[in-house]
Amino acid sequence: MSTILRLSLPLTLWLASFSAVYGLHGLLCSSRWTGPDGRWPLIAAALLALALQGALLALIATRRWPEPEPTLHRTSLILAVAAFVGTGWTLMPVAFVSHCL
Amino acid sequence: MNALRRHRALTRIWASAPGWKGWFTSVNHTDLGRMFLTVAVFFFLVGGILAMLIRAQLATPRSAFMGPETYNQVFTMHGTIMMFLFAIPFFEGLAVYLLPKLLGTRDLAFPRLTAYGFWCYVFGGSMMIFALLAGIAPDSGWFMYPPLSSTIGAPGINSDFWLIGITFVEISAISAAVEITVTILRYRAPGMSLAKMPIFAWYALVTAVMILTGFPPLILGSILLELERAFGMPFFQVAQGGDALLWQHLFWMFGHPEVYIIFLPAAGAISTILPVMARTTLMGYGWVVAAAVSLAVLSFGLWVHHMFTTGIPHMGLAFFSAASTLVAVPTAVQIFAWIGTLWRGRPGLHLPMMWLLAFFATFVIGGLTGVMVAVVPFDWQAHDTYFIVAHLHYVLIGGFVFPMLAALYYWMPHFVGRKTYFKLGGVAFWLIVPGFHGTFLLLHWAGLLGMRRRIDSYGPGQGWEIINLIASVSGFVMAIGFALVLIDVIINAVTAIRGSRDPWRAGTLEWAMPTPPAAYNFASLPHVDSRDPLYADRELPVRLARGEGYLGDPARGRRETLTVDIATGAPRTIVVFPGNTALPVLMSAVTGLFFLGMLVKDYWLVPISALGVIGCALAWVWSLGRRAPEGPLDAGRGAVLPVASEVADPPGWWGSLFLLLADGTFLGSLLFGYAFLWTIAPNWPPPAYAEPGPAALALVLAGAALTAVGGRLGALAGVAAALAGTVAVGLAALAVLAQVPDPAAHAYDATVWVLVGYALLHQVVALIMMALVAARRWAGHSAVTRRGAARVARLWSDYAALVALLAAAAVGLPGVLA
Amino acid sequence: MTTLVALAGCEESLSAVHPAGPAAATIATLWWVLLAGATAIFLFVAGLLAWAWRRPPGEVAERPFVIGLGLAFPLTVLAALLAYGLVVGERLLPRGGADVVVVRAEARQWAWSFGYDDAPGRVTEDELHIPAGRPVDVALTSADVVHGFWVPRLAGKLDAVPGHVNVLRLEADAPGRYGGLGSEFNGVGYVGHRFTVIAHDATGWQAFLAGEGE
Repeated sequence: MSTILRLSLPLTLWLASFSAVYGLHGLLCSSRWTGPDGRWPLIAAALLALALQGALLALIATRRWPEPEPTLHRTSLILAVAAFVGTGWTLMPVAFVSHCL
Repeated sequence: MNALRRHRALTRIWASAPGWKGWFTSVNHTDLGRMFLTVAVFFFLVGGILAMLIRAQLATPRSAFMGPETYNQVFTMHGTIMMFLFAIPFFEGLAVYLLPKLLGTRDLAFPRLTAYGFWCYVFGGSMMIFALLAGIAPDSGWFMYPPLSSTIGAPGINSDFWLIGITFVEISAISAAVEITVTILRYRAPGMSLAKMPIFAWYALVTAVMILTGFPPLILGSILLELERAFGMPFFQVAQGGDALLWQHLFWMFGHPEVYIIFLPAAGAISTILPVMARTTLMGYGWVVAAAVSLAVLSFGLWVHHMFTTGIPHMGLAFFSAASTLVAVPTAVQIFAWIGTLWRGRPGLHLPMMWLLAFFATFVIGGLTGVMVAVVPFDWQAHDTYFIVAHLHYVLIGGFVFPMLAALYYWMPHFVGRKTYFKLGGVAFWLIVPGFHGTFLLLHWAGLLGMRRRIDSYGPGQGWEIINLIASVSGFVMAIGFALVLIDVIINAVTAIRGSRDPWRAGTLEWAMPTPPAAYNFASLPHVDSRDPLYADRELPVRLARGEGYLGDPARGRRETLTVDIATGAPRTIVVFPGNTALPVLMSAVTGLFFLGMLVKDYWLVPISALGVIGCALAWVWSLGRRAPEGPLDAGRGAVLPVASEVADPPGWWGSLFLLLADGTFLGSLLFGYAFLWTIAPNWPPPAYAEPGPAALALVLAGAALTAVGGRLGALAGVAAALAGTVAVGLAALAVLAQVPDPAAHAYDATVWVLVGYALLHQVVALIMMALVAARRWAGHSAVTRRGAARVARLWSDYAALVALLAAAAVGLPGVLA
Repeated sequence: MTTLVALAGCEESLSAVHPAGPAAATIATLWWVLLAGATAIFLFVAGLLAWAWRRPPGEVAERPFVIGLGLAFPLTVLAALLAYGLVVGERLLPRGGADVVVVRAEARQWAWSFGYDDAPGRVTEDELHIPAGRPVDVALTSADVVHGFWVPRLAGKLDAVPGHVNVLRLEADAPGRYGGLGSEFNGVGYVGHRFTVIAHDATGWQAFLAGEGE
């Protein structure tokens, strides 16, 4: 089960953080939001997600969360890199795109 | 014992009953796989006939062939049947048939569940066919957007058929997914570690987990919409705090993963067939596994790209545009790994390879147009036009039907045990592939010229006539091709030329058995040391038939196979399977009564049939128990292993774990919907929030604690604690519902009712399970043989406790915040 | 391409690839770029595939296929494409401006009502009047089910959702009549759920606002 978790956790974390940032964006742009306007909470959330992915990637790359089987180690590593890159790629709009229009 | 004697002994143990009785009592995966595939092909024909009606209607402008009332039913049912009654069940059938053979085991993890799922599919599908024949089929589109599909736009019974019939069919998807998952993780040949699994098993595993997490949002949405239609609970009615967009979110949270649930099994078949056709092995096994997993997870982050025109702010769209472009990357990894495999090998041009080439030509175009519509501004023009119709058919026919035809011609010698000698398949190929492109290529252009999807007729003078005429004629050519495939398959199935056991000289274990396969698959189970066991040892089939593998001795006279460690594939336990039984078909018929009662609004039938389902389930579980432990048994090849029901994690525990994954996703979707309404729905807040108060909260806390503790106590004390816990949670529920007595008043009130109902249902489920353990104790079952069941009950009681707490928090929180 | 355009025949009143306004023109350009890129990639992949049957036998390395073609190639193309799409998307958003005309559209089964901020109380049925050459914001909502608002030659489409107001920016380059469509399936009357956009020159628009020509 540990092997399965190692394979699936990084991208599952991507999905969770991606959905959470999208949800936060929905809240910030909704009529319910009465707090200050601005994209900073979104940028902070995206950076946090990226940091978590980085930590997970480091755990797997440095074999602190070791996978004994070489093929599966490489596959876990590919998936952790994919999740890290994917987090940056998909949350990039928080910095560039107009946020409530 | 020689091979023939062993064959006879094993056949006596494993065979389904002879004659018509066998159809209804079989729990054998080979039989049920074939039945699944046959029924799925039947639905493909029905969906195909509907497609021909559509093309007949649209062949010329101002067609008077069908009126909009009929046409709307026809296109709705075409989409619904192809998605829910053909594509998914076809994958299930293929996986049910192939997986145990590929993995080197004798059956799926839960044979009776295979049968139960199959019959739910047949009965649910029959409901849909009945609606179609009676002219009262769903007519709001396969996407069923409310308010059009709700009582405002569709007051008749049409939408109810969709919501109830499809939910019934989804039972088969969920049950197949649970057992595919458990089978791949635990039921493999000894020695087959995860890294040595055949690539198809990886794809099937990924697909099954996607079904477990992708279908619950749809099931939830269907239940909510049916509650709105039947009882006026206004989840999607804006005036009372609902929101039409909630459905679109829930539907596409299912609907986008669905596309990949359809594509991934096809990709698994390609990754299996293509290397054999090229006389080599797959390039980049680890990369392909990573690509499949990435595709699966990324596909859950794409759902809003079906909603680019619903008015979501641009940043929201940008997230999903970025994710939608990113998902092309793992697809590209697979495509180029396959092309690299072809470069590395010596590819021939047998019929399966021809179909794979048709796949490449078609799916690459579909993928490229998919990237186009991932670009937000382009989608604003293309959305809901024939551009999308063309795109999705390139993806689904190119990415699923063509690979499945490759699979059909590749595995046909296995299905029927005969040589494919008739050449009709080649003719069919040259009708279907040009016919397909003739039908759909120019429709992209019709879409850009302004032709909307789902229109039942059109006027001349827009430049659409010639395109539609070409599309219709080509569509009929394609249909003739499919008819030829069907004839080809039937001829091949009945002609008497015996084929060789391994016509393609493949390396995977399904070819290590005589064909057509015996009921027991393998006379003895192989020990696997490589990814392609037949390449490593050409004599393996003979040695297995001689009984040189595991469990080669049928002396115990019962259906046995092995489970292994998930990662390493080391043998762990001996599983004893149940025999033939009519219980699954009976239980699915009773389940059908439950859905029928809701459909025709005879609600008295609902609780009665629910009790009937519980009764069947208890009979089902009870028959597995044993009073005295057997201890470790000889498994052959020197292995001595315990029986699965006497260890702490029996197959039922793993099945429960993955069923709870689906159940948890259902709860997560419900909580998402609640948060969505709270944030986005225009008419919030409701007139009043429920405020449970300290007494009700204390009751919930006590009830949850009692339920959770009950799972850890002995059998009798446990059931007493769970009973007390259920009563406490029930009292708290009554107190809350008294504050929101009318679930039709506001979407908030309706949501509270659903949350409370969900929590109570799980309390009752946990209670029944604990009662079952207590009953076994009372009937004299030993502590060892009870252990597995007790652990399953504990899993469910923990979940019930968690649900009670979450539901209480969700109900009370808005009131506290306000 | 020319044959395809010829296939379109003489009438292009609903064609998204015969734009008559800046938003539709930008998207039409985007489409031609997408088509050119997709065609090139398709031919490239088809060539690689065909070469598998032609190439002389020999070793094939994994890295060029998986990392070069599988990862680097799509990531480069997609990054450029995503940036292009987002920049275009930003340009099409309904930003404020002194020149912007606001009109209101309410969809129902199976008709459209249009109201005008510059002429309060004025309602037109199934005909939307706008000034040519000025940006127009259409504020969309629905009285019953979900509908879609689409004038293919002027801009992309946007849904009219009950309880919500969505704003679509469109503009016509020149006076004229432009076909409009309900673009979200909405029941038996769907095919007839259409409207016309009438773009006036400056004097015609003033005349319309003043209530002339009723």
